[in-house]
This record gives sequence, C-alpha cells and structure tokens, in this order.
Amino acid sequence: MAMIELQGISKTYTRPTGETVQALADVSFQIERGEFVAIVGSSGSGKSTLMNILGLLDLPSHGRYLLDGQDVAALAVNDQARLRNKKVGFVFQTFHLLPRTSALENVELPLLYSDRTSIKGLGRKALESVSLADRIHYRPSELSGGQQQRVAIARALVNEPDLLLADEPTGNLDRRSALEVMSIFQALNRAGRTIVLVTHDRDIANHCHRIARIEQGSIVADEQVADPKRALQEAI
Amino acid sequence: MNTTRLAGHSLRMMGRYKLRSSFMMLGSMLGVAALTLVISVGQAAQRKMLKTVGQMFGDSSVMIFDGGGRMMGGPRRPGTRLKVEDIEAIAKEVPGVDAWDPMQALSGASVRRGAVTDSARVLGQSERFEQVWGRTASRGQFFDITAVTGSARVAVIGETVANELFKNEDPLGADIEIGSVPFRVIGILEPWGTDPHGMDRDNEVVVPISTLMHRLTNVDTISAAKLVVRDPAHADQMTEEIKRILRERHALAAGQPDDFSILTATQVQQMVVEVRRVMFLYLPLVAAVILVVGGIVSAGLMLASVNQRVAEIGLRRAVGARAEDIRLQFLLETTGTTLAGGIAGIVLGYFGAELGASRMHLGSITPWLAALMGIVASTVVGLASGLLPALRAARPSPAEALR
Repeated sequence: MAMIELQGISKTYTRPTGETVQALADVSFQIERGEFVAIVGSSGSGKSTLMNILGLLDLPSHGRYLLDGQDVAALAVNDQARLRNKKVGFVFQTFHLLPRTSALENVELPLLYSDRTSIKGLGRKALESVSLADRIHYRPSELSGGQQQRVAIARALVNEPDLLLADEPTGNLDRRSALEVMSIFQALNRAGRTIVLVTHDRDIANHCHRIARIEQGSIVADEQVADPKRALQEAI
Repeated sequence: MNTTRLAGHSLRMMGRYKLRSSFMMLGSMLGVAALTLVISVGQAAQRKMLKTVGQMFGDSSVMIFDGGGRMMGGPRRPGTRLKVEDIEAIAKEVPGVDAWDPMQALSGASVRRGAVTDSARVLGQSERFEQVWGRTASRGQFFDITAVTGSARVAVIGETVANELFKNEDPLGADIEIGSVPFRVIGILEPWGTDPHGMDRDNEVVVPISTLMHRLTNVDTISAAKLVVRDPAHADQMTEEIKRILRERHALAAGQPDDFSILTATQVQQMVVEVRRVMFLYLPLVAAVILVVGGIVSAGLMLASVNQRVAEIGLRRAVGARAEDIRLQFLLETTGTTLAGGIAGIVLGYFGAELGASRMHLGSITPWLAALMGIVASTVVGLASGLLPALRAARPSPAEALR
C-alpha cells in the first residue's frame, strides 16, 4: 500500500472578485514510504496547493486522498489536526519561526499540541540532529538564515513524523545554506523518512530521487533521478 | 493536547509582547486599583461612621444646632440666637425629653501649663454631659451642678491634652490656664478617638458652660444642644413641636427661614444610607467604567495582535493545533494579562487605601472583599475582551492563515 495516494484530486478556489480558479485538475499520484520526491513547477502551477492538500492543511474539492490507506476527507477536523501533529512535519520557505522565542521553544511547539505524556529532552535531541545543540537558547533574530531553517527542520522532526513536507525550503537561503539543508534532507531520507519537497529550482530538485513536474494544476512529468546529486560533497 | 502545557506557553507568549501586555495590564490595573481603593476605604469609612454615629448620637437623641440650613451639604448660616433658655423651654413644654445638655465650643484655644502650651478645643457643657453624651471621666471626676451654677474654674481634660501638658506627671489637681484664665484639672476624659472629620476628640477640655460663657467667650448663646428622648419613634413629631417653640421664641415671621437646625436619629440613618449608597454603588460604578474602558482597550490590542500573528496561527494549526487550542491560547493570553494587571491593581489599591485610611483616621483596612472582587473583575474583563480576538484567531483555515 502506498503511503500517499491521490485519486483524481481537483481544487478550485473562488477569488474575492468572484472568478473561480482551478488550482489542481484531476491529479492522480502515489508516493511510497521512504521516497524522496521533488515537485517542481513555476509559481502559480498549483504546487503549493498540492502541498497543502498533502499536509492536510486544505481539502480537495474533488477526488480522494488516502494517507496510509485512510481517506482524510472522512476525518473530523480535530482528527485531521491530530494527524498533522503525529504524521506530518512541515518546513516552509519563510521558516515561520516565532519571533522573540528561543530555538528550543520553537522546536518544542508541536509537542504543545501532542498527546505525549513526556516531552522532556525531545526538543534538545531534535536540535542536536541538525547540529544546533550550541544554539538552543538563541532567538531567530540571532541566527543566520540557514540556522533558522535548520531550527525549522528540527521543529518538523520533533514529533518523529513519517512524512516531511518542505515548501521551497531553500528559497530564502544562499547556495551554501541551501546545500546544508539538502544534505540534512538526504540524511533523513537515508534513515527512512519520506520527504516531499516543492521547488522551482531544478538544481535543488536534482538532489531528490524522483521529480514530478506540475503545470497548470496537472502532473505533466514524473521520473526517477538516476544519480541524485550529493549535497554534502558539494558543500565541502 | 495538554492544557497545562498550553497555559504555561500562553503566559510566556504574553511576556514576549511586553509593550502590548503592559497597556492591557494598565487598564485592568487602574480599574481594579480604583475598585480596591473605594471598596476598602468604603468599608472602613462605613465602620468608622457607624461607630462614630453610635458614639455621638445613640438612637434616641435629637440634636439642635444654632443656625439654619441643611445638615449635610449647602452652607449653614451662622446663627447667634440659640440660648440655654430656649432648650429649657423645650424640655419643659415638649413631653418625652428625658435629659438635655447645652454646648458651646471654643476651637483652637491655647491651653497652657507653665511653659508648655497646647492648642485644644474647649467645650462648655452642663453637669449632665456624662448622662447625655455617655462619656465619663476615666480618672478623677466630672463637675457637678454647683460648679455650673457657680461658674467654677474646673476642667476635665482629654488624654491628648494630658499627654501634651503633663507627659508622665499626674494632671489631677494641677492648675492649667485656658487663655489667661486659671483652671483646676479635676478629671481625665474617657478616650474617644478621631471623629469623621479627622478631629482628635481627645484633644479637648470640658469646662462648665457657664464658666466658658462668662470667663472665656463672653457670649450668651450656645452652639448646640443634645436632647435624650424617651421614645425615638416619636422623634419626628417632637421635631415639629421643637420647631414651633423655637420659631415662636425667636419671633420668626411666616416667610423667614429657620435660624436653627434639628437632627434626629432617623435623619442620621438616612444620611448613613445615602453615604453608603455613594460608597458602594456610585464609587464602584466609576471603577467599573474604568474596567470597561480597559477591557475595550485590551480587546482592541488583542485584535490587532491576532491580525499581526496570522502566520503564527497558521503555523500552530500546521503543527497540530485545533481551532479550540488557538481560541484557548488567545483567551488565556488576554485573561492572564488582565488578571496580572488586576493583581497589581489590588496591591496598588491596597496601599492607596492604607494611605487614605490613615490620613482620614479610618482605622485598619480589611482588603479581602476588595481583593476577591478585583480578581473576579479582572478575570471577567479578560474573558470578555479576549472572546472576540480568540474567535477571530481560530476562524481562518490552516491554509488561509499560512498564505
């Protein structure tokens, strides 16, 4: 059974002006557990909408989305929230870190909404996994862009989700920080994590194992990468 | 989801927006401080007032004052007409007067012993002072009728006067001078404390009224008289009688206003009710208005904060917060802030009340009722002003909030 199965997904929006926009049109798509997939496309192609649907932040207008065999549209909104908390980790282009808040407390944010009884040490462990053990009490404003994105990755990992969703995670970073982030993703994928990454940067996409191209709301190409680039070597 | 975890987190968030939180706290702090102040001072003032009214008035008295006008509020016209004979006539003609005592007062008189001088109030009273006012000599004795008829130069002095002039010595039998007239101290007045005007009623010297009139003030009118009546229920009826007699004796024509005033226990009780209404209805109302304004300011600031933190709300939804978690967080942030302000307000109001009470000689303050009301009020303000921002914060879908 595929981890993610999209069956004929469509999404239409109504703009405030009244016109309707078709963001996704009849998308069918599968992602197996342990894959590292890049979804590439220009802006407005529907890739962020697809990401929102994959992350249970939005529901499709038509079609079915099965996550681990479960039809997510059938779930109550609170159960969707619990699923986001347990199964999905998000990484955003603009990091979305809380200002005036330490790296550690930012990382611990998902634990606030988890039903775990003990959360002690998890935040620190997650920060260690992105090599920021020495920055746990720094605030976002005291960290570089690359470090901020690593804090955000630690936050996505703290609840040990099966699926990591990254929306243009390197979009706001310089080349070197971008490669650092990609090397972290590659390491996480080697350890078994399923990762879906949205990008418009073909070079970043080449670090993934599979690239799906989206244009005007439809998947137009979907191919395996024969020899993914190794971010760590490039960075060195 | 763990509510304690979220509560702690909300309070920390509130600490991160110090300026906003301070303004929110200010409103509830001022409102609660005002509330605490008026409630505590009001309670103390009422306690003091009831005690004083009891001490001065009892429940079976009628007071007659020289000069017309109203007792409370409005200027009183100074009168110079009331005489001991008027009161004698009343006691004779109106049935039900058990006892009476005329009074003339000389304020700020200099009382001297050797080189030590004290400024005190000198009261001229009859030998019935003890019986009518219920205040006796704690040591020595009070003067008798022969001292009054003979205008004897004897004095009963208050504790404050005794301490000022005699320190540790025994004043009984000693000589003092009031103005330049020598008097012999024959007794020490029972301690009384301060009256509602803040006057130290132990800084007084009581002498026979005849002596005061003939040797000190050289005036034959009295400033007031107190009548003890047998049946307080008939006081109103007696008032009419007294009025008639006094107007007749003072030869007042039909259109002329009274040149005296009469105060009965019923009127005093009405005044007490009036004062209580001001202290426990109107003054807390002012505090409530401040709280409402503070609440509106809090709601506005929180709404602005919600708009500013849309991305944060989206992120929280993305990492698993349910709509109710977001609502709870903003409600806790608002309530926590106003409650903190309220607690600061209780402390502020308490010290204000202590200061006010000591200035007004109201005795000690019991802040518990006021503190309880302050906590309840600031919590209610927080919940009320946090409701709309909380609903607004949880409204957009996660994808909308993150956009």
